[in-house]
Amino acid sequence: MQELLGRITALDPEASVAIRVIACFDELIIGNVNTRALLSTAASLAGCPAGYAQDRPHRTVRMDPRGQPLHGPPPDTVRAIDLPQSAQVWIEREGAPHANDTIIVERLALAVGIRLGIERHDIEPRRDVDVMLDGREPRDLRREAACRLHLATTARLRVLAAPLFAVWGTHARGPGDVVSSEFGPVHAVVVTADHDPVDVSPAGIGVATDVDGLPRSYRSALVALRLCAPPEEPAVRADDYGGLAELLADTPADHPNPDADRLAELMAHPWARSTVDALVRATTVRRAARLEGVHHSTMQTRIETLTATLGFDPMDGYGRARLGVAYLLWRLRTSRVMELPTPAALAAR
Amino acid sequence: MSPATSAHGPPRPGFDPELKAGLAIVGGVFPPTITPELIPFMRRSYASPPVGETLAGRAVRHREYEIAGHAGDPITVSVFRPADAPGPRPVIVYAHSGGLMFGDRFNALDANLAWVERIGAVLVTPEYRLAPEFRDPYQREDVYATLLWTVENAAGLGLDPRRVMVAGASAGAGLAAGLALAARDRGGPRPAGQLLIYPMLDDRGTAASVNQFDGVGVWDRVSNETGWSAALGPAYRTDAVSPYLAPARATDLRGLPPAYLDVGSAEIFRDEAIAYAGRLWQAGGDAELHVWAGGFHAFDIFAPHTALAQGMLRTRFAWVERLLAD
Repeated sequence: MQELLGRITALDPEASVAIRVIACFDELIIGNVNTRALLSTAASLAGCPAGYAQDRPHRTVRMDPRGQPLHGPPPDTVRAIDLPQSAQVWIEREGAPHANDTIIVERLALAVGIRLGIERHDIEPRRDVDVMLDGREPRDLRREAACRLHLATTARLRVLAAPLFAVWGTHARGPGDVVSSEFGPVHAVVVTADHDPVDVSPAGIGVATDVDGLPRSYRSALVALRLCAPPEEPAVRADDYGGLAELLADTPADHPNPDADRLAELMAHPWARSTVDALVRATTVRRAARLEGVHHSTMQTRIETLTATLGFDPMDGYGRARLGVAYLLWRLRTSRVMELPTPAALAAR
Repeated sequence: MSPATSAHGPPRPGFDPELKAGLAIVGGVFPPTITPELIPFMRRSYASPPVGETLAGRAVRHREYEIAGHAGDPITVSVFRPADAPGPRPVIVYAHSGGLMFGDRFNALDANLAWVERIGAVLVTPEYRLAPEFRDPYQREDVYATLLWTVENAAGLGLDPRRVMVAGASAGAGLAAGLALAARDRGGPRPAGQLLIYPMLDDRGTAASVNQFDGVGVWDRVSNETGWSAALGPAYRTDAVSPYLAPARATDLRGLPPAYLDVGSAEIFRDEAIAYAGRLWQAGGDAELHVWAGGFHAFDIFAPHTALAQGMLRTRFAWVERLLAD
C-alpha cells in the first residue's frame, strides 16, 4: 500500500495521506485485528518491515510489507515507539525517513497498545481541540485547552465538521484536528463566527457560541454535516435550522420516534422524498405543487396518502412541525455522508 | 466481521476488517463508483508502476514483441520468462484487469511473477486495446490473437504447447473465459486450463450481488455499467452481445478446459462467478470455486499483505502449480 499512498500524493499533492493512515488504523482497531495484521498493515504502508516486542513473556513479531513473518532480531537502528509494560513497536527503515513514517509508527503504537489491553488514553494524550469540544470535560480544562490554542474566552466561534475525506476547495483558518464522534472520525475546525464561507464538501457548520459553548456548536455541526447530500447540498449550516439543530443534536440517532418511523414507511414511494421536501419548504399546497412540478390535485392526493400513513394532517397546525421534524430525523437516520470515501468528491477533482 | 449497515438498498455482507482498513487507502486511487467522466482519472490512478521496478532483483527476463492484433493492427505483448529453466516451459496467457477501459499489461505483475519464479512458467501479457476508444471485438480479438501467436511460436519461444493456460483478472478474466469459448468454437488451440480471477462475465447485471454494493468497496454496479457500455456501445444489454466478451451469455459450456474461479463475498461479481462455476459443473466440466468471505473486488491486488489476500493467492497458486508444473 506504500505504492498506493505514493499514487494518491502524485494524483493530488494537496491530499492528506496522514488522514487516510489514521482512518486505516482506526478501522483496524474497530475490527479488533491481531498484532500480526497490525504489523502487516504498517509494513505495507511503510514499504519496510514492521515489528513489535515485549519483555514478559519475551516475544518478538516482525512482518514484511507482503504480510510475511520475518525471523530473527530486528536491525539495530529502527524507528521505535515505547509502549507501557515494556513493549515497543517499530518500523525498520533503512536510510532517510519517509514522509509518512512518523504517523505510521504513531498509529501502529496506538493500535498495538489497544490490542494488548492498554487504555487508549494511556498511550495517546488528549489533544486540545478534542478536549475543547468534549462537553463531559470540566469547563476549566476546556478553557485551558482554548487558551493554549490562543482562543479568547470572549471570542464568537463556531465548529466546522467534515468527514476525513471531504474535498476542500479553500481551507478553514483555525485550530483543527481529527476527533471521534459516534458516527466515526471527524475533521473538526474551530473558526471565528464571521469566517468567510469555506468551499468544502461535505461539511456541517455549527452554531455560533463562545468558548464554553463549543461542545454545543460541535454537536450542531455534526447534525448539519449529516444533513448534507452532496453534490446537491455539499454543506449545511446549523444556523439555518436554529434551535431544531440543537434539539436534534440531543436526540440519539436510533431513538424511536413514531412520526419518523411512519415517514420511513412512506419513503418507499418514489415520489415521497421530493414531495415531503416540497411540503416542508412551501407555505401552501399550491406552492408545494409548483416546487414539485406536479398538478395541484396530484399534490392533494399525495397529501391524503401522507395523512393516512402518518396519522395526522401534515398541513394543519402542529402537523407541519411534526412533518418537518420527522423529515429531518429520517434524513439523519439514512445519512450516508460519513460513509467513506465519497466517490463524487473524486469525480469533482 | 459484522454485517454492514446500509440505509438504502439491500443488506450486504461486511468487509473483512483488514480489508475494510485497506479501503481507507484504496479509496484515494480507486473510487467505488466509476462514471464515464472518471475514465481519464482512472487511467492515471490505475497505471502500473514502471516494469523495471517490479522486475528489480528478480530472476526474470522480460521481452516485448509486436504482434498482429485484431484487424492486423500491431499490439505489444510482454513475455516474462524464468532466467534459468531448461526444457519447454508451460505458459500463461494473461489478460489484465481494469474494466475494459483502463489498466495495462503490467497490472498485478508483482504477484503474477510467482508463476514465473516458482513454477518456471512463461507469462504472456498483451496490451489489448481499451474501450471506449476501441469497442468490442477489439479486446477479445487482441487477446485471441495473442493466444494464437503464442501457440504458433511455441517452438521459437521455448514453450510447451500442451501446457497453455488462459488467465485473467476481472475484465481480463471475462476475456480469458471468452478465449476458452472461442478456442473451442473455432477449433483453435485447447488451453490446459482457464484461470478466472473475480471474472467480469455478464453485461446484463442481473445477479443479486450486482445491486448489493452501490457506492462501497471497489467496482460497484455503476462502474460495471460504465465498463460494459464503454466496450459494447449500442449493443450493450442486447442479444447482439457476443458470449466471447460476456461469457455468461454462452448457452453451451460443454467441452471447456478445467476452470478455477475465485471471488470475494463482498463484491458485485460474487453471484456471477458462482453461477458460471455451477453451469460448468452442470455441463460436465471441471471447475474449482473459492469465495473469500468479506473480500472486496481485487483485494489481492490492492491489499496483498492481508491474511485473506494471502489465502487467496496461495490457494490460486496451488491450482496453477498443479496444472502447469513440470
